[in-house]
Amino acid sequence: MAAVDPRVEEYARLLVERSLGVQPGWQVMVIATPLARPLVEEVVRQIARVGAWPLVRLSWVDTEQVAFETLWASEAPDGLLETMAPSEAQTRRDLDAWMMIQAAENTRAGSLLAPERRLALRKAYAEFNERRLRPGFPWVGCLYPTPAFAQDAGMTLADFEDFVYGACLLDWDAERDRMARHAERFDAAETVRIVGAGTDLTLSLDGRSGLVDDAHYNMPGGEFFYSPLEDSAEGVVEFSEFPAAYQGNVCEGVRLRFEAGEVVDASATGNEEFLLAALDTDEGARRLGELGIGCNPGIQRHTRNTLFDEKIDGTVHLAIGSGLAFVGGENRSAIHWDMVKELRSGGRIELDGEIVQENGRWVR
Amino acid sequence: MSDPRTEDYARLIVDCVQPEPGWNVLVRSQPLGKPLVQAVTRELARRGTRALVRLRFESAGGVFVREAPLELLRELPSIDRHEVETADSYIAIVAPENTREGADVPAERSGLLMAALREVQQPFLSDEKPWTGCYWPTEAVAQDAGMTLPEFEDFLFGAVLVDWDALAQDMQRIAERFDRAETVRLVGADTDLTFSLAGREGKVDALGANVPGGEVFYSPVEDSAEGVISFSEYPACYLGHEVTGVRFRFEGGRIVEASADADEEFLLGTLDTDEGARRLGEFGIGCNPGIQRHVKNTLFDEKIEGTVHLAIGTGFPQLGSTNRSAIHWDIVKDLRNGGRIELDGETVQENGAWRL
Repeated sequence: MAAVDPRVEEYARLLVERSLGVQPGWQVMVIATPLARPLVEEVVRQIARVGAWPLVRLSWVDTEQVAFETLWASEAPDGLLETMAPSEAQTRRDLDAWMMIQAAENTRAGSLLAPERRLALRKAYAEFNERRLRPGFPWVGCLYPTPAFAQDAGMTLADFEDFVYGACLLDWDAERDRMARHAERFDAAETVRIVGAGTDLTLSLDGRSGLVDDAHYNMPGGEFFYSPLEDSAEGVVEFSEFPAAYQGNVCEGVRLRFEAGEVVDASATGNEEFLLAALDTDEGARRLGELGIGCNPGIQRHTRNTLFDEKIDGTVHLAIGSGLAFVGGENRSAIHWDMVKELRSGGRIELDGEIVQENGRWVR
Repeated sequence: MSDPRTEDYARLIVDCVQPEPGWNVLVRSQPLGKPLVQAVTRELARRGTRALVRLRFESAGGVFVREAPLELLRELPSIDRHEVETADSYIAIVAPENTREGADVPAERSGLLMAALREVQQPFLSDEKPWTGCYWPTEAVAQDAGMTLPEFEDFLFGAVLVDWDALAQDMQRIAERFDRAETVRLVGADTDLTFSLAGREGKVDALGANVPGGEVFYSPVEDSAEGVISFSEYPACYLGHEVTGVRFRFEGGRIVEASADADEEFLLGTLDTDEGARRLGEFGIGCNPGIQRHVKNTLFDEKIEGTVHLAIGTGFPQLGSTNRSAIHWDIVKDLRNGGRIELDGETVQENGAWRL
């Protein structure tokens, strides 16, 4: 076997020590695919050294919630889908921390399951997701570089590895301090206005506080985010620069018009059908669950992977669907679809009428 | 294009545990087992059963077992414990990338892990809950067998996709003859061993806890083994080790002398695991007509038609055994070249052919 990339060890240490802060005696679920073996084994080693138990869950299908095999879900009787196996449910009540390592063999592999079955599975996971997103529960989502991700990013694997580690192996305390300064201004503001190509959208953060992700919830971190007031979004946003990808489906040129917080008009130049179906998932799917501001200096380009794209320095992202309860979000939906808006070429962010960012650069 | 035999194999495996709708079935395997794990998962789904698929890179525990503080190996995490305790059934699909994985784990560490597992797996070991273990053909298993992968696939499916009803009847007749006997004598190359089955009944393994099945087995009376047995034909394979030329001398049921031509150290270390490791836990008779050659894989080798096997270590309580140990090591003895089995002085098998 080839020597393990030394960056993997550093990456694993950040995940175990910083992102999760694993303590002796904890039971830590680690979800991955077999392709992530070098990282999984390094993570297991670090968890073992702390004196905690890793609960490794490998699956061939790389979706947000993998413990159910897609295959099983495509053939099992309807009645079994909407609840977890009792021991699975108990596992998720008992575990102390949760790590999800994306490591796709084929980034389109998850898209075969019929939408109603996918929805049923999400219902089965609702209880755990609620627990996971409560304040204080340690969890982290991350990625191990595979050829499939590199392919989506339009890179060789070696280049993509450099990209991933360049985004992840940062001085996160310094990043936290830098992001916290920007977040303070948003915390103090009521109205956010986002202006850019085909875009003029206002929304309210009144009474909401943001959270800085300094590599605690996502690795890489590098964003601060809010759940905007659910009925506040007004105007238009056009995601013309980057495709919007969700669970293996890619939509181009998404345009959303909001009135009183609700999407009243939606279109896309490619795969519009999927966009409209997603908006019809449930009542909450038409409202914003998140406004995030990308700040990761290691991420300058779009790679068709939300985990990285939403942190591109000089972009913002909006998620339709479920809000983030740990930052006060009240919107509930089975979906949470982040879409990234480029602001580096002619865009700006205004807070209560004052420009705080222009062309992706912060204004003092 | 998937091998159509995979679907037949998956149905057979699921038939072994006969799941009821709503059951929670643990399916343990490794990444290379993908085609069979997927077919079994589909089959379980069709029968309305939940599949809890647990894949591991190494069947023997991997990095955690090597690195964890010893006290963590002494107990299972509560989540794993609960999962096994509440499982209605358990299917193990072995699909190694390298059959020597785990060979570097110190015996102390693997022993602790096995001891922790044994307690929670007791309902399966004692057949209160149905379980089955089987192989998926991988390059590593083929390599150990000295075959190409396509050859090994033919071998495996030949051993597994047999007429199980007919074979079960044949084995039943053999078991009835042994059930009536008190003393078994095994004679062969450098071998003359007697032990007692008095009061013990055998079990026919057609399709159940092992796929392939194809053996009749007993737990001999613990203090009865006397004499010498030399496993000169085949290596004894256990936990990634391959010990050649194993020879045991028994007195009063206990191994009082042991030697090997290679890796003797591992053999002697294993015998010192605990008190029960020096006594017999099993005597089995291989009966699978699809298996004619040794492939360095106990699951298959112990069913070679015309062989017997003895296991040192833990016995089967459901077959009357009182021997307990952290180990159970099956070692196969070929009787097809000049060997014989006597029951109470009567030869019932000679050169591997039955004379019932």
